[in-house]
Amino acid sequence: MHAVMVLLLTLPLAAALACLRAPLRAAGPLTAACGVVCFSLVIALVPAAAHGSLGYLRVLRVDAVSAVFLLATGFLYAIVAIYSIGYLGAGHGSRARRARQFWVGLNLFAWAMLVAPMMSNLALLWVAVEVTTVISALLVAIEDTNGAAEAAWKYVLLASAGLGLALLATIFAYYAGAHVLGQSYDLGFTQLLTVASHLPRAAVQLAFVLAVLGYGTKMGLVPVHTWLPDAHSEAPTPVSALLSGSLLAVSFYAILRFYQVAVAALGPTFPRGVLLAFGIASLLLAALYLFGQRDIKRLLAYSSVEHMGILAIGVSFGAPAALAGVLLHVLGHAAAKANAFMGAGVFVRKFGTKRIDAIRGGLDLLPWSGPLFLLAIFALGAMPPFGIFRSEFEIVAGGLSSGNYATAAFLIIAVTVAFFGVAASATRMLMLPAGRLRDRPARQLVTAGSAAATAGRPAGTAPAGTAPAGAAPAGAGPTLGRGEPSAWMVVPVALGLLALLVLGLHPPAELTDLFSRAVGILSGRAS
Amino acid sequence: MQRRGPPETSTTVSPALPIPIVQLLQVVTIAAAAPGVSGVISRVEARLQGRAGPRVLQPYYDLAKLFRKEALAPDGSSWVFLAAPLGAMTCYLTVPLLIPVLTTFGLPLGYMGDILGGGFILSLASFLVAVAALETGSPYAQLGASRAKTFGAITEPVVLFVVFTVALVTGTDLPYALAATVRSSAGQIIRPAHLLAAAALFMVILYETARIPVETHSGTNEFGMIEEARPFEHSGPYFALLKWGSAMKQLILFTILLNVFVAPWGLASTPGLVPVLLAIAALVGKAALLGVVIAVIDNSFAKLRLFKITEFAAGAFLLAVLGVFTLYLGGG
Amino acid sequence: MPGIAAAAVAAPSALSGGADVIAVGVLLAEFGMFRQALLRDQVRLYAAQSALISVLAVVVAATRHLPDLYALAALSFALKAVIVPVVLRRLLRGIGAIGGDPRWSDIAGSHALSVASAVLVAIAVAAFGFFTVAALGIRSPVLPATALSVSVAVILVAFVLMIVRRDVVSQAIGFLSLENGVSLTALVVAAGLPLILEVAFLFDLLVAVVVFGLLIRVHHGRAESMSTADLTSLRG
Repeated sequence: MHAVMVLLLTLPLAAALACLRAPLRAAGPLTAACGVVCFSLVIALVPAAAHGSLGYLRVLRVDAVSAVFLLATGFLYAIVAIYSIGYLGAGHGSRARRARQFWVGLNLFAWAMLVAPMMSNLALLWVAVEVTTVISALLVAIEDTNGAAEAAWKYVLLASAGLGLALLATIFAYYAGAHVLGQSYDLGFTQLLTVASHLPRAAVQLAFVLAVLGYGTKMGLVPVHTWLPDAHSEAPTPVSALLSGSLLAVSFYAILRFYQVAVAALGPTFPRGVLLAFGIASLLLAALYLFGQRDIKRLLAYSSVEHMGILAIGVSFGAPAALAGVLLHVLGHAAAKANAFMGAGVFVRKFGTKRIDAIRGGLDLLPWSGPLFLLAIFALGAMPPFGIFRSEFEIVAGGLSSGNYATAAFLIIAVTVAFFGVAASATRMLMLPAGRLRDRPARQLVTAGSAAATAGRPAGTAPAGTAPAGAAPAGAGPTLGRGEPSAWMVVPVALGLLALLVLGLHPPAELTDLFSRAVGILSGRAS
Repeated sequence: MQRRGPPETSTTVSPALPIPIVQLLQVVTIAAAAPGVSGVISRVEARLQGRAGPRVLQPYYDLAKLFRKEALAPDGSSWVFLAAPLGAMTCYLTVPLLIPVLTTFGLPLGYMGDILGGGFILSLASFLVAVAALETGSPYAQLGASRAKTFGAITEPVVLFVVFTVALVTGTDLPYALAATVRSSAGQIIRPAHLLAAAALFMVILYETARIPVETHSGTNEFGMIEEARPFEHSGPYFALLKWGSAMKQLILFTILLNVFVAPWGLASTPGLVPVLLAIAALVGKAALLGVVIAVIDNSFAKLRLFKITEFAAGAFLLAVLGVFTLYLGGG
Repeated sequence: MPGIAAAAVAAPSALSGGADVIAVGVLLAEFGMFRQALLRDQVRLYAAQSALISVLAVVVAATRHLPDLYALAALSFALKAVIVPVVLRRLLRGIGAIGGDPRWSDIAGSHALSVASAVLVAIAVAAFGFFTVAALGIRSPVLPATALSVSVAVILVAFVLMIVRRDVVSQAIGFLSLENGVSLTALVVAAGLPLILEVAFLFDLLVAVVVFGLLIRVHHGRAESMSTADLTSLRG
């Protein structure tokens, strides 16, 4: 198993290096292969992680909780890499340099997100998360548009400032640990957990609140979520999928580690209260913001905020069923949100715009992606039989069993509201006949960089849309024929839906073992 | 800092001066040395600019000349116009009774008012001058008066915070007590509260004595003037009193900064003639040295634009507030 | 008057007084950043602030016999007081923001508030930090508690700076000085933090600086200014 961990640590890095040198045509398949291999490696880790934690070199450590997050990242790495082959397409010659940067960045990004859950101490965890920030900021900025530059700047500034707070949290965690373990303590969290009951309370409280605020900034908890819709909407679609499905989850993982320590040191009331407050704010605000969104990717971004709120609330319930639901939700959300983003990416490519009211007749024009996108939206909205239905059901059941009736009721209502918000926009895009577009020809001129265009800048400063793959920018409208832009962009979505179905109908036994082990860890019964 | 006269151990060789004389000497020292300190500053400033500059004694000649001249008052001004310079001068003559100018031990009248009392009396003087300036109807004088009061709204809280710092450090707000505390150990000097309060006070002094970066002391730039514009309409002996008063105010502020905050050494610990004379020399020497520092600052910085003066005052406020904060946190 | 004197705040030892002065110096440098009108001076102030922290690290190393801290002080001085400012300055010169077009080097107008109001807001925020941390009663083995409160105040003031300054360099410097505040905190409460972790933090900072630099360049290339005033197209 140690070899597997080391391979996970080195393979994406090697792939990134190879993408620097290899011919550009090979970069995509190489990355996809690496993603698939990494996903298989993570799967190989699962049975072992379900039985105990694996440590190596004092720095690496994989237990059941980290394995769940590795699964999410590994899966997304694989399918997003495949999708990106179609997304970048062949007609990318003039932007070869940027395409190469994209592949290198994608590998590095996945690498950092795979490394973070494998770190055995809080300091290195912080470093890994900060590395994900800087790489993903560059990936967000890779589209050479005003919107992308603005989003990347806001993202890097807010996320770095948030991580500054997270670093402060890490330092206070060290202070608390060094209080008991002596100055040579190296911030390993297993040691911190073993002495948790002796830790100074004030320091742990401060560390936990700062950690939730700091990592919460990257996770997209309201009110520190403001970078998230911008970055998700302006990034290239594969990056949006990774950001939403994996990066937010990795930040959530960091919060979970602090949660473990806080529960052990302070008892459950305080940490759960903090998470509950952030969770309710996120869920409520995001559910309301979902109505009236005009940009398809912003819509999905707010949906991410909503789901992060669900995760926080789920942890705050504290019941084993709810925790199991939270872990399943991490996987389900990763798959469903990535699917939705990738599906939306196909729409953006096809119609040349991100504006919801300029996308019509999706079911007619996109024979595969249309229905798949509809299913992805249903999956995201917790419709049975998909995984998110199961996970939200478990969270609510956990909430009811732990006596949080009001919160559970709020959760159900808010999730339903959010579903209507997303579904209303999605059905308009899919069901309304394409012919209606003819009534409003002016709208069709708006390219993907709608924000820049509406700001009244000269067309020259808003290059041809956010889709980098040479999509015909003005290709929207009546001339659109029936057909898929690329098969590479359909298969991953189908794979994701398949995974969601498996999660929803019958999760493999290894996975349920993993979950029960992880729930034991999170509720302090196992380590 | 007991309420007592000279220590019983004053068996020095020099003849002891009666305490009231020492007290009077404090006032006389300030009044007599003030124009000289102004002279030193102008001289140094001139030398730094490569000019020969006026004699150090020039301010005395100026005052003598002004006292010989005829006094005029603008049409329509009331008695306030002529009473203000006298009132201000009275204030400036009162303050030296309250602060440690020459001695480390408290003089009888020193307990009439604390550091805050001294500050109030200085403010009263400045208020009187401002009222007189309003009396004149001259636009420049009025402009100066209104600006002085506007910025004063920021600098006076600074003084208050400095006083709080003193009070927290010593447990009392008597200037004598702080000076004694500062002398007591090195730890008292490098504690942040003390340094911050001293720095804030220094900035207030730059403002109050009309120095760069707030205004040009000896310029003719009427639009930028604050302090210097106020006595525009006064003439003759009244103008002399105002000029002398502002020199005294400068020396009083220098004395507070030096003898209370920065360098409370060289003061007489007994009322003997020699220690008191030495203390006078030390004070004049320290004030001249501070004058040199201020002259250097005068020459190294540009005058701030008028609306930037609030930034300067806000900076002083920041220092003073931080001083109080660090003290409240214990130890600072 | 012994009765009155008892109410006075006792003087700290010369060491902790000196340490406090350095910590307060860091805070003052942070406040100074509100005032700076030129990009070059902003970077200089950051370098000075970083240097102060290194000095404090040396003081702690010498008095508490933590030899690791000498190495950390040297490293952090080399990185934060020399390399990062040089990198920033070269970048700014490269796009003409230093020594070039004054439209780009002058950031005096980038304030959302006037300097005086910004300082007053920052004082209020710093006061909040001061007293909150003091109330938590976290005691450090190496430095006085005042330094901890000051460091938290530095972090909060850095946030204010990032909010009220509307130019990319000040915002980046705001982030970097926020990190300085965190370093100061680390010095106070975590002086024994293993060197390897500190080095990892510093390395990470370097990476972040490079990325900030790249994005500043991207921003300048697109907006032809340092101002963030036109970064308002994404909302809702």
